[in-house]
Amino acid sequence: MLDVAKDVSTAGDLAFHAVSKTYGATQALADFTHRFDAGRVHALMGKNGSGKSTLVKILAGVTRPSGGRIVIGGREREFHAPQDAFQAGIVTVHQELSLVPSLSIGENIFLGRLPKKSVLGIKSVDWERLHADASRLLTDMGLDLDSRQPVSTLSVGYQQVVEIAKAMSFNPRILLLDEPTSALATREVNQLFALVRRLRERGVTIIYITHRMNELFEICDTCTVLRDGELAGTIEMAEATADSIVEMMFGETAHAVRPTRREIDRSGEAVLELAEATRHGRFADVSFKLYRGEILGIAGLLGAGRTELMRSIFGADPLDDGMIRLDGKLVTGFTPEKMKLAGLGYTPENRKEVGLVQILPTHDNLCLASLSKIGTGGVISRAGEKPYVDRQIADLQIKAGDPMNPVSSLSGGNQQKVVIGNWLNTEPTVMFFDEPSRGVDVQAKRQIFEIIWRQAKQGLAALFVSTELEEVLEVADRILVMRAGRIVAEVDPTQTNLTDLYRLCMEEGKPE
Amino acid sequence: MTASTSVSASGDPSDNVVLRLVKAYPMEIILAVLVVLLIFTAPGFASVRNLLNVLRTGSMLGIIAFGMTAVIIAGEIDLSVGAGAALAGCLVAWICGALSDSLGGYPAALLGFVLALMIGFAVGFATGKFRQWFNVPTFITTLALFTALRGAANLLTGGFPLPTFPPGFDFFGGGYLFGIPFPVYIFLATFAAMHFLMNNTTFGRAVYAVGGNMEAARLSGIDIWWVKSMTLGLTGALTALSGTLIASQIGSGTGTTATGLELDVIAAVIIGGTSLFGGKGRIWGTLIGVLFLGCISNGMTLINVSEYWQYVVRGAIILGAVLLNQVLERSR
Repeated sequence: MLDVAKDVSTAGDLAFHAVSKTYGATQALADFTHRFDAGRVHALMGKNGSGKSTLVKILAGVTRPSGGRIVIGGREREFHAPQDAFQAGIVTVHQELSLVPSLSIGENIFLGRLPKKSVLGIKSVDWERLHADASRLLTDMGLDLDSRQPVSTLSVGYQQVVEIAKAMSFNPRILLLDEPTSALATREVNQLFALVRRLRERGVTIIYITHRMNELFEICDTCTVLRDGELAGTIEMAEATADSIVEMMFGETAHAVRPTRREIDRSGEAVLELAEATRHGRFADVSFKLYRGEILGIAGLLGAGRTELMRSIFGADPLDDGMIRLDGKLVTGFTPEKMKLAGLGYTPENRKEVGLVQILPTHDNLCLASLSKIGTGGVISRAGEKPYVDRQIADLQIKAGDPMNPVSSLSGGNQQKVVIGNWLNTEPTVMFFDEPSRGVDVQAKRQIFEIIWRQAKQGLAALFVSTELEEVLEVADRILVMRAGRIVAEVDPTQTNLTDLYRLCMEEGKPE
Repeated sequence: MTASTSVSASGDPSDNVVLRLVKAYPMEIILAVLVVLLIFTAPGFASVRNLLNVLRTGSMLGIIAFGMTAVIIAGEIDLSVGAGAALAGCLVAWICGALSDSLGGYPAALLGFVLALMIGFAVGFATGKFRQWFNVPTFITTLALFTALRGAANLLTGGFPLPTFPPGFDFFGGGYLFGIPFPVYIFLATFAAMHFLMNNTTFGRAVYAVGGNMEAARLSGIDIWWVKSMTLGLTGALTALSGTLIASQIGSGTGTTATGLELDVIAAVIIGGTSLFGGKGRIWGTLIGVLFLGCISNGMTLINVSEYWQYVVRGAIILGAVLLNQVLERSR
């Protein structure tokens, strides 16, 4: 089991022949034909919705393709379940770690298949063999780690390395690394790359997904780009530039459709002013001003610190340093209660988990944030709440049926509107919209944007965050670009395009 | 409204009315059936005297159970109410013993009672804060209090009943007002107050939100720890109230009273349909649960079911009530 293939052969060659996948009317992947050679590191790039994650899911056996063939090492394969992909020699390492922190490295590697020995007819775990096997594997991969050490004592970087060691114990021919570095510091990234190079020498086909441009040039041999579900092209990294890759990802970029918006008056006092706000390890020295009626977009890749920044301003997470002024008044001692009273609202990114109380009625969810405003002297009644509920249902066009039914019975788009309505009932002066369009259908997305525009027209100042850069370009009046916890640029959405914005969000590419 | 009408219109109406009634009021119907059964099978059950006694016993339990309902809806638990009730009674008796001579009997009793209320509230509130500051689950904190408060009660009394109450003090726990046991008035007043608190105040709404989704409530600007701590504090105060009534009824502060009361209180809340997962439950349901437990205990005693069997039956009832709620939940 631990015999890692030593010869560089074609056993790990991975070829796709006209592979496609449709979800209903949506073509997520169309006639994808490509060959990933063994013994090389292949970058897989593409913006959200390009079909990249569909391809990963097909390869991991999570979803089945609608058509086409997958050939591994000259043999055609069909995956009905993740186990099939596993048996074909494909191992995926996800961004989220799947280790049990309290167990040792060795136990984690062999979890679910611990070696057993029989003493007097009683089967028990063979600890000696387990740690011997694990140690051999670790040494084999050039890792100086004690197999008996609990995983919880390791840094996140080493945990990621153990995760890959675990993957390698299955002796895969194809290793899929899905943004493995997003949580790692530079030194840990180097450790990881050393491991990847070692595996490459052994003939493992490595498919590497990342958002960091500089990593492409450091570790990858080729780059394959998907766009709108189709293969946009493949390029040898030796011949590539950051620009050429970004161009392949976005193609001919058109300017987003924006409604005509009136000029924002930025001469007066800012509604929200942030000065050198810092939360250690999340974001640092963030300063900006937000004006009445303005929608300020924050663009950045996953993990850039956008959500963390908004949560800290809102008082949901600590803020280590910095100053916040609301309406010119200095804010002290942040808690969500205080920020709410000061006129701030926040619609969180994951509405299912933290935006709504799923078991309570739509009615109650629309009044959660405004209880003390609706009630007088602490007394409240459903009749008293009803005007507030009805107003939001009408204004936001929430399809709720009976508002006394649990909010969990609503569609994603309507649930999102309930989250927004809950906050609009507090009549805020500043609203933070964190990924308001995630997981909602196209029509609901349009409606949500229109709600934001309408509110801004009435004077609401808003922060708008979305992973979809197109949306930030479309919705915002002004855009701050965030990278690794810092504001690195401010752009005017009418003066930029998707390609440029994306390039700003990525970390620095190869020096020209 | 439109959604529910359309549902009933789609099926056979006559069939549905019965079914929907059963689904909407399961415990009410079961209680009614039980009462009818007991009237015919248990000798003396239907006598006014017996029913008033059932109510009196139920009142002691119920006063605490209404507070416990709020605690459980808020997603917490309090295992210390039995010990807390004993301590409250002993404290009142102890103060009476120490200060009756200098202050007079009733002022001393009143002082003891107010002290017990305040301590009950403070200990409950602190339990919630303990969870906030040190992340100690209330299950653990109140389990510790469960033994510690019992110990404190016995320390106050020295292990013997303290019959130090002023003459006539037994009225509060054992007397009648207009022919109805005095604790029943307190019980009904507590019911009304808690029903109002949970349904018609912003605090009550916050309790449901906090228990239903703590993080969503926090991000809606609700002070979740204040809400949780207040439900626990409130229950502590109600426990002190009930404990004083119990001590008054038996005529002394006794460290060993109300043993196992916490389990009966929690059982009543659960039988009333409140979910231990939080966010779901009604004060009205707890009222039904209290009456149900009272009737079944009394009925079993009247038809000479052995005490040991009574325990077994009560256990089965708790499990059955939870199962029933789960099944009904799934069919909705």
